[in-house]
Amino acid sequence: MLVVRDLSKTYALGGEPAMAGLDFTVGEREFVCIVGSSGCGKTTMLRCLSGLIPASEGSIELEGRAVQGPPEDMAYVFQDYSRSLLPWLTVAGNVSFPLKYKGLSKAEAAAATEQALAAVGLADRGNSYPWQLSGGMQQRVAIARALAYQPRILLMDEPFASVDAQTRAELEDLLLDIWRRFDITILFVTHDIDEAVYLSQRVLVLHKPAHVFESIEVDLPAERDQMETKKLPRFGELRTRVLASLRAPDTASA
Amino acid sequence: MIRARLGDWALALVVPLLLLVGYDLWARGAGDFFFPPLSVIGGNFADDWLFERVPTDLLPSLGRMLAGYAIAVVLGVAAGMLLGSLRTLATALDPVLQFLRALPPPALIPVSLLVFGAGDSAKVFLIALGALWPVLLNTVDGVRGVDQTAMDMARSYRIPTSARLLRVVLPAALPRIFAGARTALSIAIILMVVSELVGASNGVGHTVQLAQRGFNIPEMWAGTLLLGLVGFAFNALFVAVERRVLRWHHGSTGRGGAPTVRRSRLRRERPRPALTPTRTAVVLESADAGPATPDGRVPDARRP
Repeated sequence: MLVVRDLSKTYALGGEPAMAGLDFTVGEREFVCIVGSSGCGKTTMLRCLSGLIPASEGSIELEGRAVQGPPEDMAYVFQDYSRSLLPWLTVAGNVSFPLKYKGLSKAEAAAATEQALAAVGLADRGNSYPWQLSGGMQQRVAIARALAYQPRILLMDEPFASVDAQTRAELEDLLLDIWRRFDITILFVTHDIDEAVYLSQRVLVLHKPAHVFESIEVDLPAERDQMETKKLPRFGELRTRVLASLRAPDTASA
Repeated sequence: MIRARLGDWALALVVPLLLLVGYDLWARGAGDFFFPPLSVIGGNFADDWLFERVPTDLLPSLGRMLAGYAIAVVLGVAAGMLLGSLRTLATALDPVLQFLRALPPPALIPVSLLVFGAGDSAKVFLIALGALWPVLLNTVDGVRGVDQTAMDMARSYRIPTSARLLRVVLPAALPRIFAGARTALSIAIILMVVSELVGASNGVGHTVQLAQRGFNIPEMWAGTLLLGLVGFAFNALFVAVERRVLRWHHGSTGRGGAPTVRRSRLRRERPRPALTPTRTAVVLESADAGPATPDGRVPDARRP
């Protein structure tokens, strides 16, 4: 469980805050999407949540422990897969890279790597280099690396923003499949409303400076399908609601 | 494809062969004392360097050169990693380093002879000092240019600092380090010869100089020819090693050639525009934009 309380971040002393009074809770095994217009402080929020930078005020608790640096139970999937993967390591090397420092033995790391690569459908590409793969496949490698790390919570920063639409749909379904099969919580940041509604159980709408403007329950059937789910009238309603919430004048912070 | 490569090889051999034949024909006709025909130089070359003087002169030269070069690379990479990671230290040391770098190494020959004597150490010192700078400065640049996302990734996966340095920063900086090491190699070879012109008792440079002073012109040319061949061979060896070690780099950037060398100051106030749309250049830019904000990028919220 991730509990975020009254989180704020101001970069320069006396400057404009990038995040102000961010407050939300993500339950065990929940899939939550966060949407916000570009420039609303999503990146700042993610960097604070992942422990990469300290917040100015407020607290983050993951599984009952305060987040001060990058937590052990968390894995971060970056938007830019081509830069988050190390080009001098093979696919398997990239996936197993963090495991040694997590205290896994060689055999355990190899097993976890194999399992994670199989889960993203890249079991036979372990010996390739990331740059020999397509963009979608590279992001699969990044997801496999996160899975092999066996986190309780997966933080994803617009992970499918730079792949083509077809690949994107495939990756979305892959992620849903992984979420169901592995015992993990997912916090997924996106600027795509369709994607947010399609993937999640709940959409948090962020306003600037980053704070939760509204939390919208996604009461769609648990089983999602790119064609069928998106045809449902309820899908359209939810989409409109999220869009309206994004555009709504901000009264909550006053 | 193999035929095409053979064709390239043949083509690359044509000009050197023409030059040699042209020189030989001209030298035979001219009969100039200072420009003996190729056969005479060749004969001297075989007498001296196949392999009589190899242990007495060539090997000592190469030994000193490799020792100095090794010191330069190890020291340059280590110091470069440090300076590249610690901006304050780099800023503090910048004037001193810029001064030392500006000193032409041959100008230090008299000092080094006084301090180290006429033995090998003075020459190794000179070679190391000259070859250090390209390695050091390129390492600093390479370390500064390490992608912020890669560093964030390593931190978010709780990779310890030492492993981050050795397994993320060092490999990421390696293309630049190699570019510096390549420049350093030619400097090392130059300084190998220069260091033997004063206060030496053996070495190829020493041999060439003695031959010149004794008006043994063919021997002088034979030594010069050897130096050219040594430089050529070392460069070829270096390129082969680089191809192997940086295979991933050439693969990921889609370029076959070695990265270009950029000599830059240790302290840079503003990011430079990328000259070529290569990965390295883009990466350098994004990293340089970093210090303005704690997280290395311009936060979205600042620009409404």
